[in-house]
Amino acid sequence: MMQRKMRGRGVAASWYGIARTATIDRAGAWAELDDGGTGKIVTGVTEIGEGILTVLAQIAAEELGVRPEDITIGDNDTARSPEAAHAGATRQTYMIGNSVALACRDARTKLDAEIAKVWGVETETIRAFNGEIWSEGSNLRMSMEEAVDLCKKRGIVPVGSGAFTAHGTGLDPVNGTGSPWQAYVFGCQVAEVEVDTVTGEVQVLGIWAAHDVGRAINPRGVEGQIEGGVVQGLGQALMEDYQLDKGHTKTHGFAKYILPTSLDIPQINTTIIEDRDPKSPLGAKGIGEPALVPTAPAIMNAIYDAVGVRIKSLPATPEKILAALAERAMRTKGVAA
Amino acid sequence: MSDLELEMHINGRAVKRRAAPHLRLLDFLRDDLNMTGTKEGCGAGECGTCSVFVDGKLVKSCLMPVGKANGARIETIEGLAPKGGDLTEVQRAFHKTGASQCGYCIPGMVMAATSALRENPDAGIEEIKERLGGNICRCTGYTKIFEAVEIARDVIAGRLSAAALEPDPAGNSFIGNNVRRLDAPSKVSGRLRYAGDMVMPDMLHMQVLRSPHPHARIRVIDVSAAHALPGVACVITAADVPGEDGFGVFVHDQPIMARGIVRYVGEAVAAVAAEDVLTAKEALRLIKVEYDELPAVFDPEDAMKIGAPVLHDYAPTNITKHIPIRKGDVEQGFAEADLIVEDYYETQQVEHAYLEPEAGLAYVDHDDVVTVISPSQNITHHRHMLAKIIDKPINKVRFIMSPVGGGFGGKEDMIYQGMLALAAMKSGRPVRLVYTREESIISTAKRHPARITYKMGLKNDGRITAVEFKMISDGGAYGMSTEGVMRKAAILACGPYDIPNVKIDTIGVYTNNTPSGAFRTFGAMQAQFATESHLDICAEKLGLDPFEIRRRNMMQDGAITHTQQTLGKVSIGTVLDAAETASHWEAGAPGRGESRSDLGGEGTRAPCTLGARFAPAVAKVKKEVA
Ligand code: FES
Ligand code: FES
Repeated sequence: MMQRKMRGRGVAASWYGIARTATIDRAGAWAELDDGGTGKIVTGVTEIGEGILTVLAQIAAEELGVRPEDITIGDNDTARSPEAAHAGATRQTYMIGNSVALACRDARTKLDAEIAKVWGVETETIRAFNGEIWSEGSNLRMSMEEAVDLCKKRGIVPVGSGAFTAHGTGLDPVNGTGSPWQAYVFGCQVAEVEVDTVTGEVQVLGIWAAHDVGRAINPRGVEGQIEGGVVQGLGQALMEDYQLDKGHTKTHGFAKYILPTSLDIPQINTTIIEDRDPKSPLGAKGIGEPALVPTAPAIMNAIYDAVGVRIKSLPATPEKILAALAERAMRTKGVAA
Repeated sequence: MSDLELEMHINGRAVKRRAAPHLRLLDFLRDDLNMTGTKEGCGAGECGTCSVFVDGKLVKSCLMPVGKANGARIETIEGLAPKGGDLTEVQRAFHKTGASQCGYCIPGMVMAATSALRENPDAGIEEIKERLGGNICRCTGYTKIFEAVEIARDVIAGRLSAAALEPDPAGNSFIGNNVRRLDAPSKVSGRLRYAGDMVMPDMLHMQVLRSPHPHARIRVIDVSAAHALPGVACVITAADVPGEDGFGVFVHDQPIMARGIVRYVGEAVAAVAAEDVLTAKEALRLIKVEYDELPAVFDPEDAMKIGAPVLHDYAPTNITKHIPIRKGDVEQGFAEADLIVEDYYETQQVEHAYLEPEAGLAYVDHDDVVTVISPSQNITHHRHMLAKIIDKPINKVRFIMSPVGGGFGGKEDMIYQGMLALAAMKSGRPVRLVYTREESIISTAKRHPARITYKMGLKNDGRITAVEFKMISDGGAYGMSTEGVMRKAAILACGPYDIPNVKIDTIGVYTNNTPSGAFRTFGAMQAQFATESHLDICAEKLGLDPFEIRRRNMMQDGAITHTQQTLGKVSIGTVLDAAETASHWEAGAPGRGESRSDLGGEGTRAPCTLGARFAPAVAKVKKEVA
C-alpha cells in the first residue's frame, strides 16, 4: 500500500535568448546632468512592474556619478522621447539599460572635459560617485552640484545620447540556420512536491532556482522576477486552464480561472549566477521571461518521482493525477496477475 | 430611481453626498470621490484589489452597494498614512523588500496585510498567508510580500528595530546594490494612477459591442437608434476607419473592429462613446447587427485539413506560420541510437491575468495630434500601425505608455487603442475605455496551447544522437504574435543541449478560438516543457540521474546551437552545479520518491491543510469562552 502523502523531486534546465528574436534590436536614450547635481534620463519605455525604472536609475546614477534618488526618468512617450521599442522579450535591462549607460557616458564626457580644464588635469583622471566628483591622485574634489553649475557657466550643458544595438540575424526559411541572439542565458530549477494520493492534490514545497542573469543590477529585483516567474510556472503546471466550448469561454472570471494564491507558494530559493555578457557595456543580460521556463517540467518530474505517474498534458489537476494513479494501479495489478 | 443621501466618515473626514443607488462602494470612492487608490481587478469579490476597511473590517468594496456603507466609518489606502506624513510600517516594509512590482494588487494587499496585523499582531507566517488568501498578485510570487508583512509585524511589536525598514547602504557601487524601488512609495500608497484611474475634463466613456458568434458574416450593422440615444456622442464601426485597417505584430490581419466578418466570440464589432458608462451600455443594446453564421473550426489539426473553413484569404491552409529547423541527419542519428523514445505532450491555453484590466484614454490635442494613453507594452509599434489605420502622418499620432498593471506580453497587441483613437477623432472629446475582467478574459490573447510529438534517440551512456520535434499551436482567429512565438519555440525547443541531428517544426494555425498572442517566454516554455519531461523519461530508462543526463548533453563553450550559431561562453554547467548544490540533491534515477534522503530540508516549507492554520487560534478562543 502506498502512503497517502508522497514526496518527490524533479529538475529541469532551460535556456533563453535576450532581446528581440532573429532580427536587429535597437534602443535609444538621452541623458543630461542637470542642475543641483541631478540626472535626467529620457527613453521610450516605462515600468511594466519588473523594476526597470529603478534599474535605469541605478545605471544612470553609477555612470553620472550621482545617487539613484537624484535621477528623474522621463519615459514612455512617442512624441517626447527617443525610441526604445517594446517592453518585452527580456530586453529592458539589456537594450534600454545599455542605451542609458552609453547616453550617460556621453554626458559625462562633456562635463568631465570642462572640469578637467578648470582643474588643469587630464580628463582621464576624473572620477565621480554618489554626488561627488574628483580627480584621481589629487585632492581636487567638488560636489556634482557645483560641477554642473561650473560647466554651465562655461557655456556647456552636459547632455548626451546613446543607442544600443543587438545583432540578431534572421533564420533561413528552409533549414532555420541563423544567429537569433547575441546573448543567451541558462537556468535550472529543482522542485520538491508532496502529492496527496487520495485527493490528487499537489503542493510544491520548495523550488531551488539557479539562473544566469549576466550581471544583477539589483539582486533583490532579480529575485522578485524569479519568484514571480516560478509562481506563474506553478500556476500553469497545476491549475490554470483557459477553456473554450465551441469558441465560447467557459472560464470568464477568477472563480473559474484558478490562479495561485498565497497558500500555494513554495519556498523559493534563488541562486543568481553572473556570467557577464562580453558584447555589451554593462555585462547584464536578463531574467524576466527565462525565470518561468523550467518550473512546470521540474514540477512534473517531481510528481513522477513522488508517485510514479507522468503528467504529459498540463495542467496536472487533481483529477488527472487521480486518473493516472488509478491507471497505474490497474497496470501493476495486471502485471502481478 | 432617485439618488441616495449618504453620510459617512472616510479616512477621518465627514463626507456628505448624493449618489446613484446602483453604485458599489468601489464606484463611489473611485468615480464620485476620485479616490483611485482602491482598484477594480475583477468586480466579483475574487481578487482583493478593492479592499477597504468598513467599520474596521476588511471588505471587498466591489461587493458592497454604496447604500450599505451609509453611516459607516471607511478607511482606504489613501487614509493609512497621513497626507504628507510617513508611510505606515506595512507600507515601508513593502517598499524595503521590493514587494510591489506592477503595483496594481498592492493597495489591496497592503490593506489585507494591515488587517492581518490589526487582527493578530503576533500572526505567524502561516496565519499571514491565510489572511492574504483573498488577494491575488500576478507579479511577485508573493514571497517578498510575506517577507514585508513579517518585518512590519516585528517592527510594530518592537522586536525589530525600525532600522530594518531603512535602505541598504550604497557601498561603493549602485550596481549590484538592492536600491529600493523608486516607484514603490507611489504604489504602496495608492497614489500611482493607471490608465483606468485617469480622468480628463469633458471625458466620454466607451463601451464595446462584441461578437456572440465564433464565425459569421455581418450582413448589416444599424447604429441609428444607438446614435439617437441622448447622451451618446458617437458610435463607431469599421466603416469609420479612414486608412488601411489592420494591425498585428507580423501580419496586419486584424481590423480594429470586425470588418464584414467576425472570427471569434468576443471580437469587437462596434463601440459607443457616451456621457457615462450606463448610457454607453444602453446604446449597445440599440445597435442592430444581423449575422449569417459561417462554419467554424476550433481544433488546429482540423483547421489544417482540406475543406476546413478558411479564416483569412491570404492563408488558404489556415497555417499562420511554419518554422522549420534542420541540422545534421536525423535518420542517421536515430540509426546510431541504442534507445529511441517517442512521446506526446500538451500544454493548455493560459490567461495573462494581469490584475489591471485593459484601459485607455484618447484625445486629439490642440495641434491635431491623436494621443492615446494606455498600458501598451509597445508604443513604438502601435504608433506606426495607428498612423496607417487613421491615415495620419506619424508625428500626428502620439502614444503615451501609462503605468502597466501587469503585462506579461498581453499588452503588446494594439487591441483597443484604435477604437479609442477613432472615437476621440469622431467626437472631438477625450474618450476613456476600461475593460471589465470578463471582457479582458474573453477578448484578449492567451498563451499559445501546444501539442508536441517528440522522438529522441540516445546512446546507452545518455548522449542524445537525434531529436525530431513537432509542435502544433492554436493561434486562434488572428495572427498577433503567432509567427514570433513559433520561431522562438523552434529555436529553443531542444534545450541547451548539444545534439548533432535535429529536425524541428513548429506550426501556428488559425482557428475560431480566442487568439493566442505574446505571453512571457513566447513559446519557449511550451517547447522546453516537452524536452525537459522527455529527458527525465529517458534518464529513467537508462538508469541515469537527471542532472547527469543533462550534463552529458549540455552545450559547452563554443557550442553550435540547433540553428548552427556558434556560441561563446556557455554557463549551463555552472547553473546546473548551482541548483544541484543549493538543493542538496541526492543523485539517482527518477522515480525514487520517498526513498530519497534529500526531502523536507531547509529549503522547503511545511505542507498545509486548508483551514488548519486558524485552528489553534480558534481553539484558544473557544477555550477562553468556556
Ligand atoms: S475583489 Fe473586488 S475588484 Fe476583485
Ligand atoms: S504587483 Fe501584484 S499584481 Fe502586480
